[in-house]
Amino acid sequence: MKITQGTFSFLPDLTDAEIGMQINYALKQGWAIGVEYTDDPHPRNFYWEMWGNPMFDLRDAAGVMVEVLACRKAHSKLYVRVNAFDSTLGFESTRLSFIVNRPKDEPGFLLRRTEVSGRQIQYTTESYATRAPEGRRYE
Amino acid sequence: MVKPADRYKSGVMPYAKMGYWDADYVPKDTDVIACFRITPQDGVDPIEAAAAVAGESSTATWTVVWTDRLTACDHYRAKAYRVDPVPGIPGQYFSYIAYELDLFEEDSIANLTASIIGNVFGFKPLKALRLEDMRIPVAYLKTFQGPATGIVVERERLDKFGRPLLGATTKPKLGLSGKNYGRVVYEALKGGLDFVKDDENINSQPFMGWRDRFLYCMEAVNKASAATGEIKGHYLNVTAGTVENMYERAEFAKQLGSCIIMIDLVIGYSSIQSMAKWARKNDMILHLHRAGHGTYTRQKSHGVSFRVIAKWMRMAGVDHIHAGTVVGKLEGDPNVIKGIYSVCRDSFTKKNLEQGIFFDQDWAGLRKMMPVASGGIHAGQMHQLIEYLGEDVVLQFGGGTIGHPMGIQAGATANRVALETMVKARNEGKDIWNEGPQILADAAKWCAPLRAALDTWKDVTFNYESTDTADFVPTATPA
Amino acid sequence: MSSGIATDHVNLNSLLADSNVNEVLQELDTELIGLKPVKARVRDIASLLLVERARKQLGLVGSAPSLHMSFTGNPGTGKTTVALRMAQILHRLGYVRKGHLVAVTRDDLVGQYIGHTAPKTKEVLKKAMGGVLFIDEAYYLYRPENERDYGMEAIEILLQVMENQRDDLVVILAGYAERMNTFFKSNPGLSSRIAHHIDFPDYNAMELEQIADSMLKKMEYRLSVSGLEALREYIPKRAQQPHFANGRSIRNALDRARLRQANRLFSLKDRPLSRDELMTIEGEDLRNSRVFT
Repeated sequence: MKITQGTFSFLPDLTDAEIGMQINYALKQGWAIGVEYTDDPHPRNFYWEMWGNPMFDLRDAAGVMVEVLACRKAHSKLYVRVNAFDSTLGFESTRLSFIVNRPKDEPGFLLRRTEVSGRQIQYTTESYATRAPEGRRYE
Repeated sequence: MVKPADRYKSGVMPYAKMGYWDADYVPKDTDVIACFRITPQDGVDPIEAAAAVAGESSTATWTVVWTDRLTACDHYRAKAYRVDPVPGIPGQYFSYIAYELDLFEEDSIANLTASIIGNVFGFKPLKALRLEDMRIPVAYLKTFQGPATGIVVERERLDKFGRPLLGATTKPKLGLSGKNYGRVVYEALKGGLDFVKDDENINSQPFMGWRDRFLYCMEAVNKASAATGEIKGHYLNVTAGTVENMYERAEFAKQLGSCIIMIDLVIGYSSIQSMAKWARKNDMILHLHRAGHGTYTRQKSHGVSFRVIAKWMRMAGVDHIHAGTVVGKLEGDPNVIKGIYSVCRDSFTKKNLEQGIFFDQDWAGLRKMMPVASGGIHAGQMHQLIEYLGEDVVLQFGGGTIGHPMGIQAGATANRVALETMVKARNEGKDIWNEGPQILADAAKWCAPLRAALDTWKDVTFNYESTDTADFVPTATPA
Repeated sequence: MSSGIATDHVNLNSLLADSNVNEVLQELDTELIGLKPVKARVRDIASLLLVERARKQLGLVGSAPSLHMSFTGNPGTGKTTVALRMAQILHRLGYVRKGHLVAVTRDDLVGQYIGHTAPKTKEVLKKAMGGVLFIDEAYYLYRPENERDYGMEAIEILLQVMENQRDDLVVILAGYAERMNTFFKSNPGLSSRIAHHIDFPDYNAMELEQIADSMLKKMEYRLSVSGLEALREYIPKRAQQPHFANGRSIRNALDRARLRQANRLFSLKDRPLSRDELMTIEGEDLRNSRVFT
């Protein structure tokens, strides 16, 4: 399967040049940019690991690409995403978030159904990848 | 000024003389202000008509009553303070009326509207009356909860950023069994939509009870979520005959783990406020279908403009509201729609007569409401939709998803690919307004579902003139 | 022009016009008094870059030119101002993408503890990307007397980026001429990557007087006859004293003269003052300076 989180997951993987253009767009809006990675892509895993703090006051995508490439090199088998943060009053949140690296093989999720009272079912989603201990996933 | 002895003599007296007209009045920051379009009966002076509206929507009755003198009546009287002819439409006037804050109960749309659109709309000296816009003072706004969730928190909960959200209404809206209904939901979500939606009139009918619908829909939502790794949702319509029944349905939706429920505008303002409070308390996104609004929002001469309804709904506390598409099958002049979208999404809405916004409106930190564009739109219009409606909007392609020749999943994929392609192109600095069709055609080269969608609906437009248009610019609905 | 000719001819004039570089050069001319040799060097560099662009248009591929520079000269000789303009020129000719200037000194690059320097330097470099990084008094990065100094770490990172990311940023190293020479001698790696050296001469007395005049005009002041006389004596005296910083010293002198003028006018507060009096710097406003004692 292919996890379709993020703004551009239905498109072919973005090239570095295309990633740069999206970053330039975000910088032009005055947004700060952070790079994050994870080995647990559960849809409700909101806190991926931060590859350093979000970068403020940058002018050009080349500066961000330094970190994107470094993170991708260090975690080539994991999910890596680029987040853009807007500090404007009334937003103060993420404004753009897209995946820039993903494992070759994505095992996806198990949907566990627990039958409770009557016809009701309780659903739990579990990443197959997290069955292996941390550090040994997607190997 | 009239002497008290003369003012309160029994009998009938013009409203303007009774103190409901004051050309020198400067509205206070705490006043509620309304702008009405009035069409007086032949021979009725527009100023007297405006004063009558002020009177009938506040303290007055048709004759003088001495009991006024037991009150601080000058304080309570609404004041018409300005009357302008409507440009280009003889016989119609915009009248501005200020209402003292003490006239209203806190946190009650019902109370606010009982005054402002109460008896006065049937008042005989007027041929027609329309509430065009209102300025709600910050002091009053602060007594309302506002959207249960709001755009920012909704996006964070869904973990979806940088693009409009995608939805679809299950079709046919009536007649499917619960099991078949859930199939449509699963296919559309797995194919790439973020949300699927019940229609306004699907509640609990002979062909499908509400519990069945909820159970099958949540199976579909969870299955699609596991298949894609994304958070998905289905607006479970909890609309019912009583608020108690609605609470029961909402509780069940929560137990099943739904992130969103839905209500219809026809349940009434107080029920909407109740459900909004429930939604805030239970971490639920609250979707509002504006069923019924067309009966009073569409005609320019009489009724309540939708931007006012949108304001009331933001105060009442809904998170999603159907707000027009510009390009689809339902009423929607581009300027008027822009005005309505501003009301939903601004932190501060600037006066903009071209968009029908008559007042500055400080939203006092009230959360933002996500507009929903639904009705006769398809993937081929993606560039226009993004250009007109922006990013914080739910685009709902019902027929455009379910009617896809290659199936529902393919229909959903076509829409999602069109959307992501267009957002990417816009961010790259491309002129999507002009290059949009080419950008879509290029994406269709590698995405067969998009190709099929573009071929199927390439010529579909709804090119009719809008009835609710702004009075300050000549406009036409684009194709 | 027919398209057949366009492929093997290029018109430098139209290239120049398209880039709007002339505007920047003209602004530089009017903004800075004197500095003839500096302006000539900037023009040379601009021409070289323009020709390089023309060559590229005709498909003549050499290696991408190295653009890193060194600006040497005493304080107050206009190095930062010229660097700002240089960033604009590089931007307009398409050699940097954004054209902003990030001006730093040693403290912005070098940390006090182990492990602090690399992230600090990288942070600055990332901010400068797409523009020009101006390192003032660059020789402070190198302190051979302290073998545990972290400056060398910053230099190494800098070198790497100067070599590998030439498209992403241009570095200008600046400082006193002699100290820069010593610095380059002990760091040949850096020196070899500097393509252009510009030397900023001190201003002569005449130029400093013009600078004073233009500063006063901008502030809506002027000198009386005695004021001008005093300034003409002040300038050479000040230039011989320590810490003379050319334009900057003139600005400071004028600021102090305004203070004394204000004091003098205040003592006359009992009578109305004319516009003329409020605008005029008298000889005594300057002569009370320590320079004359």
